[in-house]
Amino acid sequence: MQQTQTITTVEPRTRSWLPVINALYYVVLAIALLGFGYYLYLNLSLITLYLPFLLQAAALTIGISVVSMVLALIFGLIGALARLSRFALIRWIAIVYVEVVRGTPIFVQLLLWYYGIGYLLSKAGFDPYTIAFNIMTVFQSNSFVPLLFSAFFYGILGLSFNYGAYLTEVFRTGIESVDKGQTEAALSLGLNSRQSMRHIVLPQAIRITIPPFTNYFITLIQDSALLSVLGVTELEETMGSFAYPLIDPNQKLFVFILGAMVYLAICYPLSLLARFLEGRFARAYRTSGEKIDVLRADMLDSDMLGKQVVSFAEDEGESE
Amino acid sequence: MSLVQQVLPAFLLGARNTLIYCFVSFPLALLLGLLLAVMRSSRIVWFSSPAKIFIEVIRGTPIIVQIFLIYYGLGAVLAIYNLATLDNAWTAGIAILAINYAAYESEVFRAGFLSVEHGQTEAALSLGMTSGQNFFRIVLPQAIPLMIPPFVNDFIYMLKDSAILSVISATELTSVLQYYVFRNSSQPIPLYALAIVLYLLMALPISYVARWYERRLRAAL
Repeated sequence: MQQTQTITTVEPRTRSWLPVINALYYVVLAIALLGFGYYLYLNLSLITLYLPFLLQAAALTIGISVVSMVLALIFGLIGALARLSRFALIRWIAIVYVEVVRGTPIFVQLLLWYYGIGYLLSKAGFDPYTIAFNIMTVFQSNSFVPLLFSAFFYGILGLSFNYGAYLTEVFRTGIESVDKGQTEAALSLGLNSRQSMRHIVLPQAIRITIPPFTNYFITLIQDSALLSVLGVTELEETMGSFAYPLIDPNQKLFVFILGAMVYLAICYPLSLLARFLEGRFARAYRTSGEKIDVLRADMLDSDMLGKQVVSFAEDEGESE
Repeated sequence: MSLVQQVLPAFLLGARNTLIYCFVSFPLALLLGLLLAVMRSSRIVWFSSPAKIFIEVIRGTPIIVQIFLIYYGLGAVLAIYNLATLDNAWTAGIAILAINYAAYESEVFRAGFLSVEHGQTEAALSLGMTSGQNFFRIVLPQAIPLMIPPFVNDFIYMLKDSAILSVISATELTSVLQYYVFRNSSQPIPLYALAIVLYLLMALPISYVARWYERRLRAAL
């Protein structure tokens, strides 16, 4: 007698509606995106009219930001070295610079540079526009000097002066985060202090400063919109000058949305890049415990922190 | 000096208004940020994806663009449909600050919750706690001390960003400053100096307390 026993173990599957509901979301999202596309299509005439100028202005915004960031880098390096100087006076000047700049709004600083200091200096005989005009006259090309050269000059100066203070703290924290033992080892191996700074400390410090640096670059691009109050014709100013004369509120709103989208198109890829760099540099961890330590250290580092445009430590923490 | 004495009351009033803007907006930003953080870490895409999009859009655009968009753009559109009028700088200013900072605070909340090890949650659940009990009794008490320094940092940023509200003629410190600079434009420097001193008086004490707290916390961890 043969007994066949077929045991089929059927796991009682809990029916989860979650995937279905989630899939439904993507359908709705696609419809919403199509709707937004249709909204753009309805205003196609405005896009074809304004977008080329907005893109030009965006190029100017990027140019201003890059120049300001390079200058801020210089201010920041000088500030950090002054901050770590042996002389108390230099140290104190750096501390006052950092505290005053970080304690006051960049908006007020820009007004001060252009309408305060710039105004007084131009009365005293120093006018960036006239000087640039005269220099370019020597090269017989003074038509290249924009009428708003003074606003550009003081705007970029104000931006880089402000961000120099933030970068001072970033660099200082970076340099201080390199273990003292490294410097001691370098000195005992016969390197002089400049060599140990150049070959040992800075290469390690730079790794740590890159993520906050990119973060500050994104906020710098956003803050360059404040230059519109000085009349610099960057993206924000261009967008406003198009939007204000429009009588139809819908069109007005659309121009603002278009401008915001251009800003998003600049900043979002940069923040993705920053996240990638953050994963690449500085934050190497293997276990979840290390990850949490890094996260905690990040949250406690208000000198380096800034306004976090880039997410804290590691992103995509959803996969557990 | 007499100029400074003359304008001091107006400037103090402006500083008071700046503080009111921040102290009203920041709790709102915290509430909205907590909501966003909870939504973002939800498993249901209906919640997490809109929160993600909102956060990225807000953090990817300058606050001054958002101010113009909401106050002039959206305000005008709402007005023609008789839905609302945004012509009050208080309402618009507080709304913009709260919305903008909610995106940043949500990130702080998320980092705070992530910084409590998952094993704690597992232990709490295995002890029979509900997930609500776990959140309020285990996760939150451990996360809050860590979240305070970034919150204070962001509060100082809000204090500074509220200066931008002067473009919608809010009556805070910077618009008072601009008004007086416009009126006696022959000597702007003392006025700027006064405004800067007032901003420093508001920002520096908070920042020092925050740093002291940070040092203490770092020693404790």
